[in-house]
Amino acid sequence: HEPILDPSLHQHLDRKINFVAGVIHPWRVSAFERLLWRACRGYLVASFVEMPEPMEDPATGETITWVIFLISYWGEQIGQKIRKISDCFHCQVYPYPESEASREETMNGLHSQIQDLSLVLEETEQYLAQVLDKVAVALPTWRVQVQKMKAIYLVLNQCSFDVTQKCLIAEVWCPVRDLTQVQDALRQGSYKSGSSVECFVQRIPTSESPPTLIRTNKFTAGFQSIVDAYGVASYQEVNPAPYAIITFPFIFAIMFGDVGHGLLMFLFALWMVVYENSPSLRQASNEIWQTFFEGRYLILLMGAFSIYTGFIYNECFSKATVIFPSAWSVATMANHSSWSSAYLATHPTLTLDPNVTGVFRGPYPFGIDPIWSLATNHLNFLNSFKMKMSVVLGIVHMGFGVLLGVFNHVHFQQRHRLVLEFLPEMVFLLALFGYLVFLIFYKWITFSAADSLVAPSILIHFIDMFLFTSNAGNLPLYRGQVAVQTVLVVLALASVPVLLLGTPLYLCCRRRQVATEEQEPLLEGQEAGNSVNTTKEDVESGGHSPDAEHLDFAEIFMHQAIHTIEYCLGCVSNTASYLRLWALSLAHAQLSEVLWTMVMRNGFVGLSYVGGVVLVPVFAAFAVLTVAILLVMEGLSAFLHALRLHWVEFQNKFYVGAGYKLCPFAFAVDTGE
Amino acid sequence: MPGYSEFYFNVDHGYLEGLVRGFKAGILTSADYVNLAQCETLEDLKLHLQTTDYGNFLANETGPLTISTIDDKLKAKLLTEFHYFRNHAFEPLATFLNFITYSYMIDNVILLITGTLHQRPIAELVPKCHPLGSFEQMEAVSIASNPTELFNAILVDTPLAAFFQDCLSENDLDEMNIEIMRNKLYKSYLEAFYKFCEKQGSTTAEIMRPILEFEADRRAFIITINSFGTELSKDDREKLYPTCGKLYPEGLHLLANADDYEQVKCVADYYAEYKAVFEGVGSGTGEKTLEDAFFEHEVKLNVLAFNNQFHFGVFYAYVKLKEQECRNIVWIAECISQRHRTKINNYIPIF
Repeated sequence: HEPILDPSLHQHLDRKINFVAGVIHPWRVSAFERLLWRACRGYLVASFVEMPEPMEDPATGETITWVIFLISYWGEQIGQKIRKISDCFHCQVYPYPESEASREETMNGLHSQIQDLSLVLEETEQYLAQVLDKVAVALPTWRVQVQKMKAIYLVLNQCSFDVTQKCLIAEVWCPVRDLTQVQDALRQGSYKSGSSVECFVQRIPTSESPPTLIRTNKFTAGFQSIVDAYGVASYQEVNPAPYAIITFPFIFAIMFGDVGHGLLMFLFALWMVVYENSPSLRQASNEIWQTFFEGRYLILLMGAFSIYTGFIYNECFSKATVIFPSAWSVATMANHSSWSSAYLATHPTLTLDPNVTGVFRGPYPFGIDPIWSLATNHLNFLNSFKMKMSVVLGIVHMGFGVLLGVFNHVHFQQRHRLVLEFLPEMVFLLALFGYLVFLIFYKWITFSAADSLVAPSILIHFIDMFLFTSNAGNLPLYRGQVAVQTVLVVLALASVPVLLLGTPLYLCCRRRQVATEEQEPLLEGQEAGNSVNTTKEDVESGGHSPDAEHLDFAEIFMHQAIHTIEYCLGCVSNTASYLRLWALSLAHAQLSEVLWTMVMRNGFVGLSYVGGVVLVPVFAAFAVLTVAILLVMEGLSAFLHALRLHWVEFQNKFYVGAGYKLCPFAFAVDTGE
Repeated sequence: MPGYSEFYFNVDHGYLEGLVRGFKAGILTSADYVNLAQCETLEDLKLHLQTTDYGNFLANETGPLTISTIDDKLKAKLLTEFHYFRNHAFEPLATFLNFITYSYMIDNVILLITGTLHQRPIAELVPKCHPLGSFEQMEAVSIASNPTELFNAILVDTPLAAFFQDCLSENDLDEMNIEIMRNKLYKSYLEAFYKFCEKQGSTTAEIMRPILEFEADRRAFIITINSFGTELSKDDREKLYPTCGKLYPEGLHLLANADDYEQVKCVADYYAEYKAVFEGVGSGTGEKTLEDAFFEHEVKLNVLAFNNQFHFGVFYAYVKLKEQECRNIVWIAECISQRHRTKINNYIPIF
């Protein structure tokens, strides 16, 4: 920076030029300049230069392009004014050495300082990057390790300390079959950790009810889970899951029966099963997909059974297939009635009379005759069939449920319940509803088209049976029907008080017997368990006082009364509930028929090339609607209803379901699914 | 358009008016003051203030609580609110808000000059300035030695330049001259503000007129009373009175000739509301002072401003009421910290 005045003149005037150098915020430059000019005009020269690159403001942290200024002035007073003004504007003032040489020196020093600092910063950043890279590689393993350690410590927290405070005692439930395995594992663990004291396991008696463990494989797990969803089986109770493997898909299929839809469902499940080990299928995060995937074996069986029932209903995408020739002959009917062309033109519907020989040649070998899909009274025939089928299946299912109760009674050493509960229940069910099933089958076998005009109505017979009345217009099905029916009704009514009072009275008598025979106090050794975690007061002591005995009787009686009412009324309502099998299969059939006639058939209208092109979007719509409505919606609906039938109508005949599951400790990362 | 401000006010100023009314709802009520007066320590006071609109304004204060920190933080809150208004304001509201700040600017300039006169370092004086009245060149006033220099160098770029016309003189700044300069500046400012409000017309003028008139008359009374016993001549005194008040011109003339307090009171008796103000004043220690009476009257006028909508007066009233609230809280805090609770209820309740 050159001096402003000529050096010789400079000396002569005896004025020294001083400098003030600093940095100012760019927004304040104009006001600063103006104030300087007004206050010290003529005594200073100020120059402003913008900084080449922005720097961070230490106070606020923003990056601002500062403006550097250099003021050259002479006079002491002016200098003070200038300094006050620059303070007022909050400028950062830097010392500005007088001579050129010292200025150069300062600049070099600052440059080298900047270089050193940037070098240090670079090195530090590189080092940090290296450390972080190493950590990033090892981080997932560390995370897993930490989670495992945390899980282990959580479990250790649940253990209690020994008297000596030196070892932990854990009380666990363990399956008897796995006891040796547990001992081996403990021995191995002690050996591997190199400890001097060995861990060991010891059986202790307890009065708590144990958890339920049912071992399943990947196939049975699905069925067990739908049973467990309602309630985990009580300890050692009979498990309905093995039977559900077949009954559940079958009941589903009755509501879903269609070969085409069943085949699609079966193929979908087959794909999931074949590729079940692929990680992309297994670890999808979509919850809905996970639900479908875990039920893949269920869906497989459901699809397979639906193909079977589809063949029985003779429906494939709502079209009947003619595998065997139809048993009805239109030609014979036409020849018999000599239908002329004029007659055919004026009568859109024609009746095939089975009483004419040769028209109906016997029942179709397997399933429903395909001619029914052409008939306008298709539903009349099908409804009667499906309704009776639902009732029959329902009563068989429920009877099977009552039968399973036998296993419970035998296992829990309650043989009195065989006679006092199982027998009256079975008599009630079979005498009334078993007889209904018999009537259905009897009428199917003994009555034919020949006597269709005089065929008796089962419904009216059934009502008359209960009301002990008779209807003149309704012929009896067989000889002695009235007598048989009266006996059955009386039997059923007689079984109700047996069911109601049998068990309570028996239990009451037995307790009175026990009380009079033994009066000795409980011995020490009969304590219900020397568990470390409970004290003597926590454990319930046996023995009842006389008034407690009364209370118990009232409770047992109440319990039995509820059970009786529930069972008897339930028989009626649950039988009616099975009619949903009919309702849903009807809905499914109608929906698929609507889809065919309203959507797909319109694609076949045009028979030209254009028609061929139009067929493509029509088929697309048909396919999408089939999958969305018929497979997904109807499938879920039928699944839900089949599940409800199992959970309520079937299981409340024998299942208690008040247990809890055995949850062994496992690292969540390991289970993988 | 006179009287039709509701048609077009909200376009530019509706948001801010809504905002200021929201803030007004947070002004402390008498119940709050009763609570505050019952506090035993400054910490209690802080706790009570947390439940009001002030919230956690003292939350980041480390160290023991002092009155000056409380005062600073109260002012800081008002400052943020006012800056928000100013940054979001359109003309003419922006000019109106600027006018509000000019009175503080005048006070700051006078404070700095006085301080410089007594050789105080500038860094000590700057924190004492009112934050609402700070301007960029404020700290540079210390370089000036007489009013002309002050004007020519520094104030000419500031908005105060317009008010400086009467004050230019070559006399050095000393005690008396500084006070005269202050009053002259304030007179110009008040008259300019009054003219501005009149120019706005309609509701703004209607509301601001009584407030500014009262301000002008109050200055006249105070100047008169303070000048008893000083060297200020009666003519000089008359030159300092703002002319935009009710007392102009006869009242001001009478005031200029007054010699003691009684004569001043007589002048006030000619005007109904000032008579009422002077009635309540006593000179004993337990009674209200004149300043308190004036503050009370001012608060009444400012509260009335909120009864009308679509005018700028609400902003002025809000700032003045917040100031009064500040003074109230500081008064209570002082009484608490000095444990001199006899006069603790001498605050002026607003709502």
